[in-house]
Amino acid sequence: MGQSWKENHALYLIVVGAAAWLVPGAGHYLLDEKRRAAVILVAVVLTFLVGLYVGSIGVIDPVNAKPWYAAQVMNSPAVFFLGGHVANAYHAAQDEAGRQARFGRGAGQAMRQAYLVFGRASEIGQIYTSVAGLLNLLCIVNAIYVAHQRFVGGAHA
Amino acid sequence: MTTFLTSLLATFTTPMRIDTAPASMLWLLPLVATISVVYKATKVNRIALRPFAKETAALFGSIIVFIAVAALILYGIAWVVTGQLPGLLDPSAF
Repeated sequence: MGQSWKENHALYLIVVGAAAWLVPGAGHYLLDEKRRAAVILVAVVLTFLVGLYVGSIGVIDPVNAKPWYAAQVMNSPAVFFLGGHVANAYHAAQDEAGRQARFGRGAGQAMRQAYLVFGRASEIGQIYTSVAGLLNLLCIVNAIYVAHQRFVGGAHA
Repeated sequence: MTTFLTSLLATFTTPMRIDTAPASMLWLLPLVATISVVYKATKVNRIALRPFAKETAALFGSIIVFIAVAALILYGIAWVVTGQLPGLLDPSAF
């Protein structure tokens, strides 16, 4: 008979960590900490959405703001899709701007297609989405640690 | 319904207009609240409404006080460097 995934220590920690990254709070939910999971889910998702609302999806910028993007990706793998969409729009706008420049026209109209965002809205959006990601990283590490403690505690008992 | 969803999604493709007035610093308050809530959610043994709210409020208050103290110190340094030092270093003052 195959080993239960909860009995395989490394696999158990990986599953808890992956779940916590996939959906904020899911790691704690697997550990039967439902209230903690709900608090984490609401707080992280709300902060991330407020950041997106304030700065637009342009704040998820894997081309020009890589360090911020690294923190934002900690929210969920779904951020990869958003980042890919924004990067594609940026590259398409750049290509169009290059074509326009060959005809002696300005690049402003073409670059409007990219989700470019500047100023205070960009700052606040980036800070909110990145802090949400870093808070989720804290929760991922905490979920893995609690899972490990329980496993070790269970093994000693 | 589709129109509502489309317009809702569209709001996430256009940034808000936020000027650089001192009032824009108030945006730090919700962020500090979130940090306090998530940090305490990982620290407390059991989540019960009253003790959790109390601990979160204490952390929120201490972060805000620390930020205010840091801001005052930085403001003081900026005031000395930009307002007082040039006058003291001016050779015509001697």
